[in-house]
Amino acid sequence: MTSAVHALAAPETHASPHIRDHLDLSAAMRCVLWAVTPAALFGAVNAGQQVLSAARVVGLDALPGWQLALVRVLGFPPSPESPGASLVVGLACAVPIVAVAAITGWLWSRLFARMRGRSSPEALPVAVTLFALCLPPGIPLWQVALGSSFAVVVGLEIFGGTGRNPVHPAVVGFVFLYFAYPASFSGPGVWVALEGAPGATVLGTLAENGPTAVRASQMRWTDTLIGWQPGALGVTSALASAIGGAFLVYAQLASWRVIAGGVLGLAASAALVNALGDPGQPGVGLPWAWHLTTGSFAFAIVFLATDPVTSPSTAPARFVYGILIGVLTLLVRVFSPSHPEGAMLAILLGNVLAPLLDHATVRVHCWRRRRRRG
Amino acid sequence: MSHYVQLFVQAAFVENLALSFFLGMCMFLAVSSRISTALGFGATVMIVQTLTVPLNQLINTWLLRPGAWAWAGLPELDLSYLGLISYIGVIAAFVQIVEMTVDRFFPALFRALGIYLPLLTVNCAILGGTLFMVERQYTFGEAAVYGAGSGFGWALAICAMAGLREKLAYADPPEGLRGLGLSFVVAGLISLGFMGFAGIDLR
Repeated sequence: MTSAVHALAAPETHASPHIRDHLDLSAAMRCVLWAVTPAALFGAVNAGQQVLSAARVVGLDALPGWQLALVRVLGFPPSPESPGASLVVGLACAVPIVAVAAITGWLWSRLFARMRGRSSPEALPVAVTLFALCLPPGIPLWQVALGSSFAVVVGLEIFGGTGRNPVHPAVVGFVFLYFAYPASFSGPGVWVALEGAPGATVLGTLAENGPTAVRASQMRWTDTLIGWQPGALGVTSALASAIGGAFLVYAQLASWRVIAGGVLGLAASAALVNALGDPGQPGVGLPWAWHLTTGSFAFAIVFLATDPVTSPSTAPARFVYGILIGVLTLLVRVFSPSHPEGAMLAILLGNVLAPLLDHATVRVHCWRRRRRRG
Repeated sequence: MSHYVQLFVQAAFVENLALSFFLGMCMFLAVSSRISTALGFGATVMIVQTLTVPLNQLINTWLLRPGAWAWAGLPELDLSYLGLISYIGVIAAFVQIVEMTVDRFFPALFRALGIYLPLLTVNCAILGGTLFMVERQYTFGEAAVYGAGSGFGWALAICAMAGLREKLAYADPPEGLRGLGLSFVVAGLISLGFMGFAGIDLR
């Protein structure tokens, strides 16, 4: 395992915890950034492709002039078939959002670092990157700055930085924005960053018009697996998230139990609801495989739920935690018409209940030991 | 049956007394520093709530509300102005019984809870549960389910809070937020998590 991350090793140990290893805290955080790169890059191409496809319907004039000029200067035809043009347009959507989130977060962390007389928390780059990648491409930049401030200050800094926060900062920032500005998470021009473009997500269509509307939209399951679907910046590709997750599990930075539990929980509860649920309800009837690849579930379970600080520390509790997140995600998706996607809400609740799950595991273990040994 | 399941889920999660209505906050913050104490206290609240809400429902139906005395031939009698004092009386009597029971069988928990156990009498979550029951005109069965559900939700909330607060032992907050300040922030974050339940409609 160590050879995999040797190349990314830190030269020296600076901040606590003072354990000398070639995998120190900031190297681990860099590994997570590497793991999230495929999802982010693919997300950019997809965001651009969605914009260009929508522009074909709405008209190229809807595209901001500088984006169109940039595509033309670089010599790409402005059509969704050109991967180069898609990447350029996608980066034009994604880079400002990520940059605003990163700069705002960095400024706050500098302020706290100066106040405390120590360096910025190592978890900061990962937290703001994951936060930015979960946002819809059409979100106003001032909301990104506000959400990033909330994530870094309330989610991380007031608890004392890396390793001391009870809930994941990226999730806190996202859920804060989600409840404070619901208009930025639904409606036209949100999930596809083009004014007036309809671009509903698969789960949005499901919540509104039911599974028949999803089937009528001509989208295939393999499209959603690879990630060709409207959605948040970095989360559309379940495949890229799975690749990142495989790397994290191989490097022992993420717990496979959380991921396996989450996938199992969502798939099993989706199959159960489809079998027993009332077919008249809009959310019932989407196959379990679609639930796994649509929305932000794959990204969230791989990168956000496995965070070692906010997930449980005992093995059985991790499995239960994963299952809990999967089941809660499905409950929100199917039974809550106002929230088409529930993965982030489920992870926030999972984080809140994580210490209790650990407590229960220890208690059960003690009880079984006492029974065995008398 | 599904009506009762929905009522239970609604009372426990969607309309969580601690996290959606912010009732019973004083004890929510005071008794949540350790999981073991919070578990005991949560269970106590759940028992008190499960039994006092249906009991008060009976009192309201047969003695207090307008026309309640029809069985005694006095249909024009309206004693609903006696509501608050009767409900608190029932709760106080009940808490006294619970207190003696806990003192007899769980002395460690009794010591840990200290003054907060008798203070359950004036816990706004418990009176609040009864008042919601009266306002929504629950039947006896509904009142029992609502009491159990809201008590369970409150117990779950205080246990989650205690778990996070045990973890906060490692936190290093700025000067002004030490102690209870950070707990308020955490209570807000838990409440944000429970907001995800707000739209859930089980049918």
